Amino acid sequence: MEQLLVPMICKVDKVIQETPDIRTYRLTFRDEGMMEKFSYLPGQFVEFSLLGSGECTFCIASSATRKGYFDCSIKKAGVVTADIHTSIEEGDEVGIRGPFGNWFPLDDIKGKNLLFVGGGIGLAPLRSLIQYCIDNRNDYKDFTILYGARTSADMCYKDEIKEWQDDKSLKVVLTIDKPEDTWASNVGVVPKILEEVVKPVIENTKVITCGPPIMIKYTIQSLLKLGFADKDIITTLEMKMQCGLGKCGRCNIGSTYVCKDGPVFTNEQLKSLPDEF
Amino acid sequence: MSVETFVTDKAGLQKFYEAIMAGHETYAPVEKFGKYDFKRVVRLSECDPESPISRTQSIKPLFFPRSAKVMKYVATSAGTEVSEVDEDPLAVKRVILGAKHCDARALQVLDKVYNWDYIDTDYQKRRENTVIISTRCDKADTHCFCTSLDYDLENLDAMDVLVVNGLDGKIYIKSKTAKGAELLNTDVTRHASRVTEEVSEPVLKKQFEAFAGSFRLKMDYKEVNAKLSKIFDTPEFEDVSGSCVSCNTCAFVCPTCHCFKISDEKVKDTGVRYKSYDSCNNGYFTLMAGGHNPRPVKYRRWRQRAMHKFVYYKERFGENLCVGCGKCTISCPVNISIFEVVNQVAQ
Repeated sequence: MEQLLVPMICKVDKVIQETPDIRTYRLTFRDEGMMEKFSYLPGQFVEFSLLGSGECTFCIASSATRKGYFDCSIKKAGVVTADIHTSIEEGDEVGIRGPFGNWFPLDDIKGKNLLFVGGGIGLAPLRSLIQYCIDNRNDYKDFTILYGARTSADMCYKDEIKEWQDDKSLKVVLTIDKPEDTWASNVGVVPKILEEVVKPVIENTKVITCGPPIMIKYTIQSLLKLGFADKDIITTLEMKMQCGLGKCGRCNIGSTYVCKDGPVFTNEQLKSLPDEF
Repeated sequence: MSVETFVTDKAGLQKFYEAIMAGHETYAPVEKFGKYDFKRVVRLSECDPESPISRTQSIKPLFFPRSAKVMKYVATSAGTEVSEVDEDPLAVKRVILGAKHCDARALQVLDKVYNWDYIDTDYQKRRENTVIISTRCDKADTHCFCTSLDYDLENLDAMDVLVVNGLDGKIYIKSKTAKGAELLNTDVTRHASRVTEEVSEPVLKKQFEAFAGSFRLKMDYKEVNAKLSKIFDTPEFEDVSGSCVSCNTCAFVCPTCHCFKISDEKVKDTGVRYKSYDSCNNGYFTLMAGGHNPRPVKYRRWRQRAMHKFVYYKERFGENLCVGCGKCTISCPVNISIFEVVNQVAQ
């Protein structure tokens, strides 16, 4: 077990300031050849160490279809993430364990319409799958991304969103909570825009959603109201984790270990769990 | 595997233990300030293999250390170097004397989670390299309820060697595993004589019946499993957890609790990563950065504790995560009893 808790060293190639409190860290393994061996699928997570400060769980925010690096987008939210923001610069070294957990149901979503519904930093795990699906675009039909943030400044991946908007095969809908002078797009919370603007096709569509717990809750309510089946709504959960190996005992909901059985669940699976998340 | 059974007397048992200590790295209950813990011993006078049941420590720390160094590292502006810790506590074979049956059984329960998916190889190595000698208790203690749980205490095979104080005044030493038989087939048994099962088994049975008749606490675990699995939201959890001071002692002394935390301690450029006991009773156990906590209040943490022991682990691994040893209750500063908790909630 002890060996499984020892991280591999990664180099920070790039630090991207996404929003005032979110930064993306682009990482590569220091040991040669390790990056090629590091295989992961969209939805999986890593344990990220700032040695001396601590270890935190982050989803991988990029897709393995983009070679040579992987991204973790980190919001300043607690002690370790504040230390990460303060002290990690380009060229620094961090520890990584993983990849852990399950992944988005790639077989199930093949050949379907895709609707991504993200809020705030919740776009990070979706981005891994969005990139994967864009890189395999012919495997999917309609492709819609609805993304909301509190303010326009709080939107992650601004440059990449522009690329998505320029891609005629994708439909991108953006929204912010309150009006801003320079904002020409939608205003309103994600579930409202979902119902009033996106008006998704229900048939043959898989919805993949992630965001703050309150957004997920109301988004799922809206989706059900629109007529989506529980099995077609897919989300990824955040829980306090430490080992990532199904041993340390803190991420369980009932007898389900979020680190092993998740973090990706369909709403059908979530409904069978005790109400403790 | 052939079962080896020997019979001896009190003096012979002492010689048996002494012979083991002379030839093996041995761990046994050592008393300090009225409490017992398992320590490395070289002489019988240092320890008490017949220590009372109401011990506060199990043999779990010999397999899952209370706090273990995971790695060392040096992190400077020049880069980061991670190194393994030097000590290998697993190199030698060892023998444990004086384990209680509940202690030994707890390891069988823990094997399930440690051998699931990612295998804890250190734990496994410690298990393989250890011979457990367990004396069957003569009488239940106040908080014992091992006979009420989902394992066959009389025929338990969680220990390698079983020692029974027969009601006939003789002491019986019986192998329960191949490892145990191998040990008994060496000269450690030179002060004991072989005995046939026809002779020994009726004595062992009688002793067990007397022991099994001495329990104050009895419960129907199947009923508790079934009832708890249907309850999640009940005010009973608030009632039973109200006096809890969240000290986590129950988890630290529990032979089956296995939650741990990973922590880094760094002074200047040099640091150590530890894996240490943690507990679901800690308020911060599930606290996430940003402040969200699915178990922010005591009753939710106690619900997790009770449900993990009597519902979740059973669903996942087929066993109760409680062996009925009573250690948590003996050590609890506010007298919360897991037996009472689950029975009260299940009512």
